[in-house]
Parts: sequence; structure tokens; C-alpha cells
Amino acid sequence: MTEPIITLRHVTKRYDSHTILKNINLTLESGKFYTLLGPSGCGKTTILRAIAGFMQVSEGDVLFAGQRINEVPANKRNVNTVFQDYALFPHMTVAENVAFGLTLKKVAKPEIVERVAKALKLVQLADYGDRAISELSGGQRQRIAIARAIVMEPKVLLLDEPLSALDAKLRRQMQYELRDLQQRLGITFLFVTHDQEEALAMSDEIFVMNQGEVLQSGSPVDIYDEPINHFVADFIGESNILPAKMIADFQVAFGGHQFECADAGIPDNEPVEVVIRPEDLTLTTPEQAKLTVTIDTQLFRGDYYEIAATDTLGNDWLIHSVNPAEDGEAVGLTFRPQDLHVMRFGEKEAEFDARLETYEELEDENVD
Amino acid sequence: MKSKLAHFYLALVFLILYAPIIFLIAYSFSQGETMTNFHGFTWRHYQTLFSDARMLAIVANTLLIALLSALIATFIGTLGALSITRTTRRVTRDSLLTLNNVLMVSPDVIIGASFLIFFTLLKIPLGFGTVLMSHVAFEIPIVVLMVLPRLREMSTSLLDAAQDLGATTRQLLTRVIIPFISPGIFAGFFMALTYSLDDFAVTFFVTGNGFSTLSVEIYSRARQGINLEINALSGVMFLFSLLLVGGYYWIQQAGHKRRQRKREVAS
Amino acid sequence: MRTLTKRRTWAYFIPYGLWLALFVIAPVALIIYQSFFDLGHHVTLSNYQTYFQSATYLKMTANSVWYAFLITLFTGLISYPTAYFIHQLKHRQFWLLLVILPTWINILLKAYAFIGIFSQAGLANQFLTFIGIGPQQILFTNASFIFVATYIQIPFMILPIYNALDDLNPAFINASRDLGASSWQTFRHVIFPLTLPGVKAGIQAVFIPSLSLFMLTRLIGGNKVITLGTAIEEHFLTTMNWGMGSTIGVVLIVAMIVVMLLTGDQKVKGGTPR
Repeated sequence: MTEPIITLRHVTKRYDSHTILKNINLTLESGKFYTLLGPSGCGKTTILRAIAGFMQVSEGDVLFAGQRINEVPANKRNVNTVFQDYALFPHMTVAENVAFGLTLKKVAKPEIVERVAKALKLVQLADYGDRAISELSGGQRQRIAIARAIVMEPKVLLLDEPLSALDAKLRRQMQYELRDLQQRLGITFLFVTHDQEEALAMSDEIFVMNQGEVLQSGSPVDIYDEPINHFVADFIGESNILPAKMIADFQVAFGGHQFECADAGIPDNEPVEVVIRPEDLTLTTPEQAKLTVTIDTQLFRGDYYEIAATDTLGNDWLIHSVNPAEDGEAVGLTFRPQDLHVMRFGEKEAEFDARLETYEELEDENVD
Repeated sequence: MKSKLAHFYLALVFLILYAPIIFLIAYSFSQGETMTNFHGFTWRHYQTLFSDARMLAIVANTLLIALLSALIATFIGTLGALSITRTTRRVTRDSLLTLNNVLMVSPDVIIGASFLIFFTLLKIPLGFGTVLMSHVAFEIPIVVLMVLPRLREMSTSLLDAAQDLGATTRQLLTRVIIPFISPGIFAGFFMALTYSLDDFAVTFFVTGNGFSTLSVEIYSRARQGINLEINALSGVMFLFSLLLVGGYYWIQQAGHKRRQRKREVAS
Repeated sequence: MRTLTKRRTWAYFIPYGLWLALFVIAPVALIIYQSFFDLGHHVTLSNYQTYFQSATYLKMTANSVWYAFLITLFTGLISYPTAYFIHQLKHRQFWLLLVILPTWINILLKAYAFIGIFSQAGLANQFLTFIGIGPQQILFTNASFIFVATYIQIPFMILPIYNALDDLNPAFINASRDLGASSWQTFRHVIFPLTLPGVKAGIQAVFIPSLSLFMLTRLIGGNKVITLGTAIEEHFLTTMNWGMGSTIGVVLIVAMIVVMLLTGDQKVKGGTPR
């Protein structure tokens, strides 16, 4: 394991009687792409500001490469930020903006010129040095904001919802470019967003936040497939979440039936919730079905149909299907046991991870 | 039809606005001694004006007071605007703004009379010093009002960005804040200058016997009746204000144009 | 580090704070303080008693308010159409500049011009003779005072009204026309109410100075009109009765506050930013 570059230890932030961050613990390793994901007001930008040094935490420690930096002012920290509104200085040209930090550090003129040119080339705006900021498009401003930050050669680059002002197409393109840039520079990126798609697409690791807490952290695949609770399941991707009851290990009941599942380590008869992703549901004939539903309505989404249906107990179902269905038709649904994911109420991340480990070992032994 | 009526109305208003000014300047070239009949062209009144040592000294005084007071007021007013934006509590900011505007809305006679009491109480002799101080005092609020909107336009992330890139508090001020608000500072200085040149009432109260500005001098001469030397003076002053206004707009446009030209080159 | 930054920011405030204390708070306090002294430097309420019991003072105040009202009214009646028509012109920025330009010219020179125009053999009387009315005494009348004061104030009324018209979202006018309103109905129900804050700002800018213009009453009004401003100037600089002058000053300050309160609600109603 590589040395952690940023560590937050028991970080709490209060404004008056308001608690913005509740006991945050997280570790960022060098050279990885991290994302803080959560709805607006969940405290993700506050974490960014604490690391950048724009804000003092109320309790806890902020560590940079093992050194406590709580009292180090922002202008002395080796991290740089790309701001949501870009914060490019309107009274300076593109090149002057990018050179700003270097001139403050009194870097020699020729070196500044060289490094600015290199940074502009890196964001594919090599010829734009003499332009005024007001002449740039949104996407170009975005790139200049990135160039201005990376020219400082920070160990960590903080990005505060940098893509939110761009249109959908440009946003997708920038996702590729940011990911590519991070891998070429080999530095740590900490990206803040409320857009789950962005987070899933770019990150090595995601921290899902809500109401000042980190609910779950892990790779995009882990978080998508095994959300820890209702909030995470609902926030990331589309999902069917149903009340259920654990019958025994690998057996769960919902919608009036009992099903095989891939979860264990939960006391028998405990009320739980199950998640099934819409794309994991397959339409079939009622005879071969695990469940029968009636089609309510459907929308054509281009590469698939989004179908809304209701089962006999009145639960709503969302299904993604390559083939269309007919409104009012009764159809069967099937799914594989591993497509079911069981969530316990109020389970913390540590407990969740511990439980997962116990029965994954069990499964591994079975395979052997 | 309707627009013709509107144009006629506007023509009338502009005629009334400019007739007295044109009238005044036209008679500065008249050979007569009154503003009744034009007696043929002459530069005589301008010659009298430029050889009137007392008048020239007063012009110099007026310009000196205007430039000096505008400089000092711009400095103090900019610092004031900076402190007002730095206040975090709304009540404090609102009361500061209200106090700031007291001199903006107060009638000139009140400002003049109260300053007169103030200087007399402190036993400061009336003259250049008191006029200068008074001008600085009533120019400060307009500078604050011209600088504040620029400061408000500056997003906090701009300051965060500068700090993030390594700027100290001092560099923040000199490299980012001051350049960003400089159009406001410049406009404030210009307004302060015109306030000073335009003032009569306040100066009249605090000037004492030995010292005079143009406004006060024109007042005392006008009370004695028509004197075409004053017409010549108004001709000169009109030209001066045209140059001042023209220069101000030219500087504002120049910044705009430079940007535009760059765009043309780029495209 | 933090305390150092803090202390330095406070240093910025010192010159401005000194100005606030010495040239804003102290003078207002002094004028109120002075109003309680009579000619013999005794603390007394007699200035206020004299003021409120003397028919001369009360009549002078009423006159001053009445003239200021007339000046404001005429200024408004001339300025609103002017601002409205200028706003419809093609090169409106240029025409607006032409409105502003006369304000750069010293107010005393403008007053002086009218001494020439209104004199016995002046331009105005030449015109009156030409149309057959014959020469009149124009200078040193109440009418000439109101005319010149209105002339001087017009640009200060046009500007705020023009700005209010400029702030008006044209979609409102289109919406009003779309819903079937005629031009006049649109003006009456949409444009005028929405530009009322500009009119109020104009009233503020014109009414208060009109109460206190003293050089015009001397140069144009020939001392026939006495405004509050004239009275203050006279008490301070001629009769040297500062106590009484200050008392009238306090009255003027109160009048100013009343006008501000009456016209100041535009911030709430007009929905100016924040």
C-alpha cells in the first residue's frame, strides 16, 4: 500500500449550532482519482475547503503526507483547487492567469513561460495565452482553470463540481479528459460532484456522503452492486427497493415469495430491504417467472425501454428491457440470486464490511 | 406621427438645456459689455481673463483643491469600501452604509454650516486647509459608492483561488483586489474631482476671507452684475469639462476596444 | 498569523472610521448641540420657541416647502416624458450623455447665464417684445426662481427615471400587449408602476436640494424668495446667530428625513437586488 497523501482524522465542523461535518475519517493515497459524491448540502465541498485551507475544522486533524496541516494557511499548502465557477481573474489574460501562482513564488521568467506553455498544451489550449478571459467559452474556461492549478505541480488537485456548468456533451468529453489527465500527471485528484454518473465513470474510489457523514466508500462497482443502505442504493443509479424479511442465510422473502440470494450473516427473520437494479430484471412468460407484474407504462430511452410495472401486492417495479412490452399486459420477471442485494437497517460501513468478509470467505471455500 | 411629436418634445427639452450655455459662451466673444446685443467678434474678454492674475490664482487654487482632495478621498474611500465589504454582520454593514450616505443626501448648507461650527470649535483657522478637509469629507462617500459594487461583483472564490495559488494577504490586495476594482476606484476619483469643482455652498461656508475658489469668485462677481470676463471663463470651463468627460469616456472605451480588437485578431 | 492578518485589516478601517466620526457624526451632533444656544451662549430652548411662535419663520418654512414642491413637480412633469422618449431612441447612450453634460458645468455659471437672459434688455424680453407682449420684469421674480431651479434639477430627475426604464424587462410590455392592453393601458398599468422607484429616487434627488438652494434665491430670486437654505446662510454668515441658524438646520434635517421616509420604501416595493 502506498503512503497516504491526505488523511482526515475525526474531522468535525460546526457553524453556530449547525454541524456540517460529523466525525469524518478518510484516507487518500497518492496517484488515485477520488470522488466525494452526495446531494447538495451534504458537506462534500466543506471537506474540500478544509483540505484546501479555506476553512478551519472545529475538531480533528487534517494530515498532508503524515504532517498535521490544520494551521497551515491555504497559500502555503501544496494542494490546488479548480473552482466551480472557475474563479479566473478577469483582469488578466489566459497566460497571466496560469502564470499567477508561479510569479508569486518568484519562479524565473523563462521557466514560467515554459511551464505555462506546457500547462496550456496539456489542456489543449496552447494558442490561447493572449486571450482575455471574457473571450473564452465555458469549456475553455474550465480547461484554463485546470491549467492554472496543475501548473503549480500540486500533490493533490481538488476539483469542486468543475463540470456542473457545462452542457451534457461537453461534460462527457471532459470526463474522459480529466481521467486521462489524472493518469498522465500521476497525482491525486479529489473530485466533488452530485452527479453519480460522473462519479461512477471517473473514480478509483467513491465516498458517498449525506448530511455530513460518509455513508460508504469503495470502488464504483462495489458501491453500485452492494449499496450499504436505502439512501446509497437510491442515490446511485436506478433501483427497485422493496421491504423484505431474511428467512435464513442466502434466503430472503419479499413480494409474497421466498427467493435465493447471495447475502448471509443476518439473523433469521430480521426485517431488511432488497435492491434489484432495473437492468438485472428480465422479462419472460408468466410460467417461467419468479414474479408476475402488470405493465403500467413505458418510455423509449434509445438503447432500452424503461418499463414501469406493478406486482400483485402493489409494489412498483422499474425494468430496463431491450424489447418493448405492451401496456396492461401481465408479464413474468426473472433475476439471478446474485442480482438481489440485501440491506440491513442502520448498518454501519465497518459492520457491513466485516459481515461481507465472513461469508465471502465461506463462498470462496465452497468454490474450492 | 407619434414619434414626430416625441422628437419635437425632445428637441425642445434639449434646446432649453443647451440654450443658456450656448448663450453664455456666444457672448464671451461679443465686443459689448452686456449680454444683450451681440456687437461683433473679439478675443478681448479672453485676453482680460488670461491677464487677470487674481483670477488665474483662483483657478490654480481650485484645481489644486480638486486634485488633492480627490486623491485623498479616493484613498480613504477605497479603504472604507474594503472595510465595509469585510464586515460579516449585516447590521454593522447596514449602519456603516447609512452613515456613509449621510453626507450624500444632506443639503449643502447643512454640511457647510456644521463644518463651520466644527472648525470654529477646534479653533482651526478658515482657509485652504478647511476647504481641503471639507472637500475630502464630502467626496469620500461617493468614492465608497463607486468602489463597493465592484467589490461585490468579485466572487469569494476569486480570493480563494488567489490564496490557493500562494498569494499572501498583501499580494491578495495588490495583485487581485486592487486591479479588479480599479475601474471603480477610477470612477470614484473622477466623481470626486467633479464634486469638488462643482461645489459652491460648502466652500462658501468654510472658506474665510483670504482664500477663494472659482465658484465663490463667480458668485461674488455675478452679484455685482454682468461682466463678460465671466463669460470667457465659462467658455474655458466648458471646454475643460468637455475634455474631462471626453477623456473619461475615452479611457473607459479604450479598455473595451482593446479587448474587442484582440477578439478580431483571434478569430 | 491569523491575528496578524486581522490586525492589519483593522488598520485599513482607521482613516475611514476617523472620517465617519469627525465629519459625519460630529457635525450632525454639533448642529443639534448648537441649536440649544442663544446669542449670549446660554443653554436654552428659546431658539425653538422663537421658531415655532414666529409667523415669519413658519411662513418662510411653508413657502420654502411649497417652492420645493413646485420645482419637484415641474421637474418631474418635464423629465418623465424626456426619459421615456430618450429610452426609445436609437443612440440613447449618446443622448443620455447630452443630458448629463450640462451637470458638469458649474451651477453658478448657469445661474449667471439666466441673469443675462432674464435682464431688462435680455433675450427673454426681446422675445416677449417680438411676439407683442412687451418687456416685463422677469429677473428677481418668484417665477424666474422656479424656472431656473427647475432647469438646474432636470438632469437629476431624468437619470433615475431613465435607469428605471432601462431596468424594466421588455417582456412585461410584450406580455401586457399580448393580453390585450393598449399602449396607454400598458403605460398606465405596467410601465409607470414599475418605474415608480426611479421617480421616487428623482424626487429625493430634487426636493431636498430645492429646500436649501440659497445662491439662486440671491442671484435670480432677488431675495424675494427665502428658502430654509437662505435663512441658514443668513444666520450663519450675516447676522452671526448660529444658534438660530442651527435650529433651522435641525428643521431642515427633519424635513429631509421625512422626505426620505416617504420616498424610501422603493427598496421594499421595487424589489431591488437583495
